[in-house]
Amino acid sequence: MFDWLTDPFSVHFMQQALLGGLLAAVTTSLIGTWVVIRGMTFMGDALAHGVLPGIALAFVLGIDLTLGAVAGALVMVAGIAFVHRKARLREDTGIGLLFVGMLALGVIIVSRLPSFTTSLTTFLFGDILGVRSSDLLVQAAAAAIAVVGIVVLYRPFLVLSFNEAKAQVLCLHPKLAHIAMLTLLTLAIVTSFRAVGTLLVFGLLIAPPATAALLARSVPTMMLTATGLGCASVVIGLLLSWHLGTAAGATVAAVAVAVFFAVLLARDVADPVFRSRRRTSVVDGGS
Amino acid sequence: MARDLVLAYGERVALTASDFDIPAGALTALIGPNGSGKSTILNAIAGLLEPISGRLAVLAGPRRLAATAYVLQSTAVNEAMPVTVREVVGMGRYGSLGPFRRFTTQDRALCAAAMDRLAITELASRHLDELSGGQRQRVFVAQGLAQAADLLLLDEPITGLDLPSTERIRTAIEEERRRGVTVILTTHELTDAAAADWVLLLAGRVVAAGPPDEVLVPARLSEAYGVSFVTEGGRTIIDDAGHRPRVARHSETHARTGPDLDALPE
Repeated sequence: MFDWLTDPFSVHFMQQALLGGLLAAVTTSLIGTWVVIRGMTFMGDALAHGVLPGIALAFVLGIDLTLGAVAGALVMVAGIAFVHRKARLREDTGIGLLFVGMLALGVIIVSRLPSFTTSLTTFLFGDILGVRSSDLLVQAAAAAIAVVGIVVLYRPFLVLSFNEAKAQVLCLHPKLAHIAMLTLLTLAIVTSFRAVGTLLVFGLLIAPPATAALLARSVPTMMLTATGLGCASVVIGLLLSWHLGTAAGATVAAVAVAVFFAVLLARDVADPVFRSRRRTSVVDGGS
Repeated sequence: MARDLVLAYGERVALTASDFDIPAGALTALIGPNGSGKSTILNAIAGLLEPISGRLAVLAGPRRLAATAYVLQSTAVNEAMPVTVREVVGMGRYGSLGPFRRFTTQDRALCAAAMDRLAITELASRHLDELSGGQRQRVFVAQGLAQAADLLLLDEPITGLDLPSTERIRTAIEEERRRGVTVILTTHELTDAAAADWVLLLAGRVVAAGPPDEVLVPARLSEAYGVSFVTEGGRTIIDDAGHRPRVARHSETHARTGPDLDALPE
């Protein structure tokens, strides 16, 4: 049994994959917590896929893929703001338009490449087994920035999530805080996509914080729980993919989502106290 | 103080050119039908909405935002957040503490006192989604009180609440007024407006501003609400019984807690 756990990680590329996955899990879980609390999942999803044309174009031009991803994310955010302001449509309509438009553009660019299928698969699903040391450095820097950003901006993020007008009255600059949050979200996506791909980075961004939301009673504990769950999903996903011969990135994302449903069901089965307490609180209202 | 004030959201004008004054250190009630511009004026006073034209001076000096406490309508907040009552009340201190400074003993004392006044100390470790509507509203008022601001704005603080919560909030507002805080609230309740020092009657413009006994008279109310009011045995009531359901919609509290329309002292 012990060998089953340790054998896979005795190989160099699996060690790199483990480190890359863990760093991605830390960054995405911390930012993802705010994405889940603020109900920005569609934005996160769109941003994760909207970086595709940037990456594809960077690949064609032979420049760093992360830079391409950053450019893609900037176009995406600017485009959403443009549609929201000019067309007087709800923000989610703009997000949807940009999401599809950017994804299509990405696939169009990739389709001009000779190795169409391989490239597209790599971009969408990542290549966690091909994580390089230079990628790990970038990911480590991103994780550090995420930790510092989350600590420093805790109060502005907390009140912004509570109510934007309240944040403004309390001089916590909600507009700047929102931009900072989008910046951190972009950072999490563009530095993690190499490991798990643009399609699956969203899984790590949403699933561990959503699971943590079922368990945690404060934002900091939600972040810590999400980080723990994200890291556990990476380890379990890599082990399963090694032993079952499945795609590593997809297995990690699938484990993260499976953990959510397992916790959801387990909580309802094992903790009737939890539910009865909620009912009581409604009954004794107004005391 | 406002002169030729026009307020709008985008192209939708919510308050046409209006002049009005609101006294400092007193309790002012903004009353009028839905969509009459009550919350819009509060937003402008809070500094959340810039006037399209005209002038709005708050407390006759440069506006210090953190010195304004704004209790929003409870429907406007994210109640699904994993935050406890204690943390929500503590947010009131962020205005003076900023993003980094730690809570001092005084900050904690202000929060504890605010929670005590609204009788929510026992609920301190509960989450917002574990509270009743009345308890939640008391938490939001406590958050405003914890700010210890010289200007307290409350957007429909007692609309549709249970009786104990209504009484707690009314008492807290009265205490703030006695302490010399400038309190401005919006209400659908004629009784609450009548208990204020100053009333602004609104209908997309300022229909009347002044002491309650000058503003809350049948002629003015009819002008604002578009239905007739009469004074009968010391009570101002709606003239036509057939209109009562419509007015009850304006004022949900009437429908839930009051058997009759509001009484007004003559």
